[in-house]
Amino acid sequence: MSELAYYVYCIAESTAAAQLPVDSLPAAIEDDSKLEWISVNALAALASQVPRATYSEENLAEHLTDASWTAIRAMRHETVVEYVAKRATVIPLRFGTIYLERAGVEQMLSDKSRELESIIEQLRGREEWGVNVHCDPAVLFSRITSVSPVLRDLVERARQASPGQSYLMQKKIEALKVDEARAAVNRIVDQIEDKLKEQSDDARRLRILKVETTEHGELKAKFAFLVKRAGFEEFRDAAEHLAQEHQNAGVRLELTGPWPVYNFCEGLQN
Amino acid sequence: MSDFDQMIVGEEWEGSDLSLLETLDHVLNRGLVIAGEITISVANIDLIFVGLNVMVSSVETAKEVLRKHEATE
Repeated sequence: MSELAYYVYCIAESTAAAQLPVDSLPAAIEDDSKLEWISVNALAALASQVPRATYSEENLAEHLTDASWTAIRAMRHETVVEYVAKRATVIPLRFGTIYLERAGVEQMLSDKSRELESIIEQLRGREEWGVNVHCDPAVLFSRITSVSPVLRDLVERARQASPGQSYLMQKKIEALKVDEARAAVNRIVDQIEDKLKEQSDDARRLRILKVETTEHGELKAKFAFLVKRAGFEEFRDAAEHLAQEHQNAGVRLELTGPWPVYNFCEGLQN
Repeated sequence: MSDFDQMIVGEEWEGSDLSLLETLDHVLNRGLVIAGEITISVANIDLIFVGLNVMVSSVETAKEVLRKHEATE
């Protein structure tokens, strides 16, 4: 009877795992199953048993098309990883990491120990913070002549020009507004990235899955930053400063976190 | 659900529940991929996301998901 498989949530140090008895941990991804630490030397993987059939490659793909099925399990995965991440340095794994046998998890911990330990060292004392940049296009458009240096200059020159020239320059200003608004957003997003990079150890620009329009405008960029816990106040202050600076252009910054460091532990995709 | 903070910077500093979609984006799409012969990692996340978006936009369904989720804790 080997109809079960091991679902792995995250990897931590064995010393940290020893401080987090499984009875104190949140619920496992499937009902009627308990979390367990699988330890090999200095490393420990947090896992629970799942029905092998449900999580086989072809069946899992099928289940994942059921949004409710996926959402519930993804939230359980997250709740578990979050709990551990608050108390220890943790390498979060992707949803759906399955080993058929317990020995497979042990083998992985043993084979990859050097890389895993080095990732844990890089992550120690750090958290991931997300920054979403939204822009309200109507606000930006209405303010674009003051936001864009090119248009500001044209407006000034039009004011001093003869009525005939001024008319032509006004036409040009109107024609440039759309392009300048787009350029302004890109410039502001780049500046936000540069400034927040200075306050963090690493940064990732994330893809936007679809253009979302929220009460805060259109989502223009999504970043993840790796921030030292001790340096978070400075990071937040820098974000607040940027938010104020670009408020006039219709730009809003949204800060989310602290997340388990989902975006900063690549490197094992051999 | 997640008790991470989500805030609009520059406004009152107040934690609130993260949107379900934001959390799912992190969990499903990211994290360490350990390539191994017996490891399966989720593919085709974009397709799933279309479905999740539809689901999350339906308030009733999202509530149902969270209710079930909380009932397991």
